[in-house]
Amino acid sequence: MANLKEIKRKIGSVKNTQKTTNAMKLVSSAKLKRTEELAKKSRVYAEKLTELLNEIAQKMQNANADGIDNVYFKDVQNPKKVDIVFITADKGLCGGFNSQTIKRVKTLLAEYQAKDVKVRLRAVGRKGIDFFKFNNVELSDEIIGLSAAPDFKASAEFISEVAESYVNGDTDKIILVHNGYVNMITQELREDQVLPVDSSNLEFNSASTSELEVEPDDDNTLLDALVKRYVEYTMYYSLIDSLAAEHSARMQAMDAATTNAKEMVKELTVKYNKARQEAITTELIEIISGMESMK
Amino acid sequence: MELLKLEIVTPNGVIFDGEVKQVDLPGSEGEFGVLAGHAALVSLLDTGVIVISKADGSEVAVAINSGYVKVEEEKTTCIVDGAVALSGDDSDLAKALESAKELLKKTESSAMAIASAVSKVEQIGRSL
Repeated sequence: MANLKEIKRKIGSVKNTQKTTNAMKLVSSAKLKRTEELAKKSRVYAEKLTELLNEIAQKMQNANADGIDNVYFKDVQNPKKVDIVFITADKGLCGGFNSQTIKRVKTLLAEYQAKDVKVRLRAVGRKGIDFFKFNNVELSDEIIGLSAAPDFKASAEFISEVAESYVNGDTDKIILVHNGYVNMITQELREDQVLPVDSSNLEFNSASTSELEVEPDDDNTLLDALVKRYVEYTMYYSLIDSLAAEHSARMQAMDAATTNAKEMVKELTVKYNKARQEAITTELIEIISGMESMK
Repeated sequence: MELLKLEIVTPNGVIFDGEVKQVDLPGSEGEFGVLAGHAALVSLLDTGVIVISKADGSEVAVAINSGYVKVEEEKTTCIVDGAVALSGDDSDLAKALESAKELLKKTESSAMAIASAVSKVEQIGRSL
């Protein structure tokens, strides 16, 4: 009989969990829609900016045989100091979303340390910070709140600081790791080299035939401004991308959890019914045997 | 008259995409106008107002804080950080004028550039 009560209690608790996970799934799907919209809007801007940057860089490369003479384009073969910026969520309950990023950062860290490269980690998002703190890995930057609500100004401030240390020579390379959004059911780990701008990947396919004129005349002024903006925007866009991925990952995880809970309730109900029948049978036997003995 | 394709992109999406007769841009080295077939050019844009002359003769003004423009023979693309279009009916326009002035005043460029842009916005507000 005690068993009966216990199963009933368990059913109730699983049902409650199911309600929570279902609600979280709905919230995430609503938030995902909003973030997706935001990402779609800013994607155009990011694309155009990259296109423009590529074109100007290409032009400068053509003009100068030794490559581009700009601090942001210095090609460092063997970097001695590397900064890794990585984005995780502030909250958990989103499947492997955070652990994937953390794993990648850990691999990168080991790779560079094996090559005797000094690595600084800059973490955005509580989950990543917690993990590395727990493992006693030093973080040179800890930012909470930005990954849950990307803000252009705040992200620009943060990355500008990082970019400045690159210009000052405190670091040779800046890598940005985040989990990006592909579609509702897929996330993809992305690893971008922010600085120096990778000029080997530049594509040049302008429709224009005439020579590109640049104003102000000094190429570096324009290029500097563009690269700065490009870096800021890469950071901002990655934050949005990461947020969209987070929501889609959470949606999936919560969907799976809801389904599992449903399954569990079903199993428990069968168990409950069986136990109830058993109890009734035992009671009947008791009554009958009691009557039998009265005769 | 030949028309040129113009696209204005902001971090919040594309705010203008269409064929126009002429566009006046606030370049960092001075204002300049672009017609169809303009030679390729890339320029920084300063705080100011982009004036678009449409094919039907009407004008649209867009206040911007800063950005870049890429001019090609076929197409002109403006990449701006913040923009407010000064168009629409009366009530919208008043609001747009206000937010345009706010946008301009928040920029970090020189006081003169801001002042001239603001006065231009006010002028447009009166003439519309």
